[in-house]
Amino acid sequence: MSNFSVGFRANGTVQVLSLQGELDAHTASELEAAIQKCKDDSKYQIVVNGAHLQYISSAGLGVFMAYIEEVREEGGDIKIAALQPKVFNVFDLLGFPMLFDIVETEEEAIALFQNGAS
Amino acid sequence: MPTGLLSRLKQKEGLPRPGARTQRVVLVFFFAIFFLLSTSYLLLTWNTGHPSTLLEVVYNLVIVACYGTLWLLIASLFRSERATPAKAFWHTLVLGVLLIGLAFAALRLIPGGFSEAEVPLTLTTVVKMSVLNLLEATFFFILLLRFRDLMLFKRTRTSERNWYLMLGFMVFTAFVSFFATPGGDEGWQDYLLAMGIVPSVAFMAINSFRISWIVHLSFKDKMASIGLTILLLVLFGLSFTYGGTAELDTLNPLRDVEGLLPWASKYLTLYSPALSTFMMLAGVFGILYCMTALLSLLFHLPTTGDFQRRADEMAVMHSLTDLVNQVFDLEKLVSTITASPVEAGSADSSWLAVADPETGSLRPRVIATHNIVPAVVAELVDTDAFYHEVLLSKEPVLLEQAPADHRVDANPGDGLSSLLVIPLSARSEILGALFVAREVTHGFEKDDVEAISVFAAQAALALDNARLFEEQIERERLSRELAIAKEVQHKLLPQHLPMVEGLTLAASSVSAQEVGGDYYDFVELDDQRLAFIVGDVSGKGTSAAFYMAEMQGVFQSVAHIAPDPHDFLTHANRALATSLEKNVFISVIYGVIDLESEEVMLARAGHCPAATINLTGEARYLRSQGLGLGLDRGTLFHKTLAVEHLALQPGDVFVLYTDGFVESRGPGGEEYGYDRLLDSVCKHRHEDAPDLHASLLRDLDRFLGGMRQYDDDMTLVVLKWHGIDLGKTTTEKQENYPIGAVPLE
Repeated sequence: MSNFSVGFRANGTVQVLSLQGELDAHTASELEAAIQKCKDDSKYQIVVNGAHLQYISSAGLGVFMAYIEEVREEGGDIKIAALQPKVFNVFDLLGFPMLFDIVETEEEAIALFQNGAS
Repeated sequence: MPTGLLSRLKQKEGLPRPGARTQRVVLVFFFAIFFLLSTSYLLLTWNTGHPSTLLEVVYNLVIVACYGTLWLLIASLFRSERATPAKAFWHTLVLGVLLIGLAFAALRLIPGGFSEAEVPLTLTTVVKMSVLNLLEATFFFILLLRFRDLMLFKRTRTSERNWYLMLGFMVFTAFVSFFATPGGDEGWQDYLLAMGIVPSVAFMAINSFRISWIVHLSFKDKMASIGLTILLLVLFGLSFTYGGTAELDTLNPLRDVEGLLPWASKYLTLYSPALSTFMMLAGVFGILYCMTALLSLLFHLPTTGDFQRRADEMAVMHSLTDLVNQVFDLEKLVSTITASPVEAGSADSSWLAVADPETGSLRPRVIATHNIVPAVVAELVDTDAFYHEVLLSKEPVLLEQAPADHRVDANPGDGLSSLLVIPLSARSEILGALFVAREVTHGFEKDDVEAISVFAAQAALALDNARLFEEQIERERLSRELAIAKEVQHKLLPQHLPMVEGLTLAASSVSAQEVGGDYYDFVELDDQRLAFIVGDVSGKGTSAAFYMAEMQGVFQSVAHIAPDPHDFLTHANRALATSLEKNVFISVIYGVIDLESEEVMLARAGHCPAATINLTGEARYLRSQGLGLGLDRGTLFHKTLAVEHLALQPGDVFVLYTDGFVESRGPGGEEYGYDRLLDSVCKHRHEDAPDLHASLLRDLDRFLGGMRQYDDDMTLVVLKWHGIDLGKTTTEKQENYPIGAVPLE
């Protein structure tokens, strides 16, 4: 039924979440669960790879807002990478680039963590 | 008491079937005629002393007709009321005492009549004879008819047949005895008589064993019945101790004793040998039946408790059909279910555990107890463990010695020596478990377990129905609440569009669900300034609707105080930041049109950019910078917010919308998108705002291919600047739009 999935990958200390499909009010809870799991594992450096994300609704964007504060308080961050133009437009309209690091590639996002950490 | 009884009989008589009353009147009438006829004959013959044979035959026919009518009359009186055992004996006894008493009075108190000597042919004799026969016949008819109800308790075809055969042979015997003249010594007469008497007695014996009603009596009723049968036997004894002789009475050892009714036998035989034989046989049957009933009652007394218990269980089972009526009251239902095994005597205490709706089936909750306190249950029995066992096995668990089980922490005195746990399952789902306990070990026999299991199955069904019923109620309540919410939300949107010189307006909003998070509104700040807003709360449904309502409050109040877009949005962001959930934000587009300076100020807080076009067809999106409301609670919001100032030219159009519009998907899954919207605006730019609004929706519908399915709330607002006073051109858009549309009057 759900055409949304989250893939977990670790890249050093960075936890990469690969999103696939459509993130809307119905599937938002899956991303919530994924980020919650990162928190439970005390992995606060999170990169969300949106290369295969087809669609995001306002409820999907809300998930990032729900966790960003806590993650940053723990010294981590959620960085967003490789969004398709249409999906990026949704982030952009709401002004997310002013709140999150949204970059072209996953590598760039990971590099941002490493630079920030060093 | 007899008066009470008679009045009750009268009551029954007072409410007969429509035809029955007439029937009885006719019967009484004929009976009276026959009785008078027979009496007249007696007076006549006893005076003349020489009756002719023909007259004698006619007389006997009249007697048969007379007493046949009496039988039918009594049967008709008793038909309306089926006798319970105690009642049957009681009626027979009371009426018997009354009738025999009257007979006694008639024979003893009126002087004259028979004596040791010859038959005196006096009026007194005739009267005594008629009265005695009438009274005795009534008594024996009542006896037969009342005992008939007992005999035919739980009747079968055979028992009915035996009853009629007995009556038939009795009548046959009576008939034969008419020909067997007293003192006759011809062999064929005795032979015929025996042919009648032997089968009569045989069927009497058979019928005397139709006493199954006894097992259904309570101890008290049995004792009462024993007393009544003894009294009846005494009455029979007394009524048969009449002196005098008759041929059939030769074997009666009391025939020469002057008893209760002196010379009665002679009166009866002379009146009609056939009738007297019939009454004699009826009396024998009465004695036989009373004897077997008495003995059987005595034998059954000790087992009454067992039968009573079984009967109680049956009653409880039967009361289960009432459970169906209790689905409207779940609380009452569970207490009935819990109490029933104890009330049926199958258990000493019981309690009911069901899956807790809050924690699921993992931790059952004891919702009702009977004869035991919930705290004691919690202390002594690991209800969870048993519940999970029956949840898996779906079979009853029986502990013959409960304290030996590790899940039971009871001492012998705690009343939990044996425990039975029965799952309540309906539609192959376990709804709960019924726990029943006894104070003794090995307290549950096989039939107890079966009875309680049957009960549990019924109870589970009732419980299931009650649950479904509650869910249905809840669903209906929710849909009612949502309907109210929808109406309230509708009222939050402008009911009338403002009339502004030089400007035409059109607006509509559709929710994907009953309520939604889209919002549009207008405020006339003063004579020349109009503030407008379109907003979209993230998410959908009820929570979005609440924030939408809050947004409405903010707009209606703050726009007056701080109409400037930058000020307004900064205030709004601050006001909302405290109340919005972390994951909720509101995207808003806000603007102010100044009619005097012919200028519009527009700011976008994370919202879809407004489309604008002028007369020459220059179309573009106004994508100024700005964060959604609620995304930032610090200074970033107002630092980054940009406001556009645009000079108005006649023919300028502004199209404001929510993402539901551009994200609507066509049959191929493709989004409508910004380009198509802009094209559509360009195409229809010459139209007035209401027409343009309609055209934009029509173009969208065409793209959607008629499959109007809205996954998201969708709002569309069109403003067109004419620059000149067009009078009342601000027509209000008539909503002819789809499901769940929030129309604008």
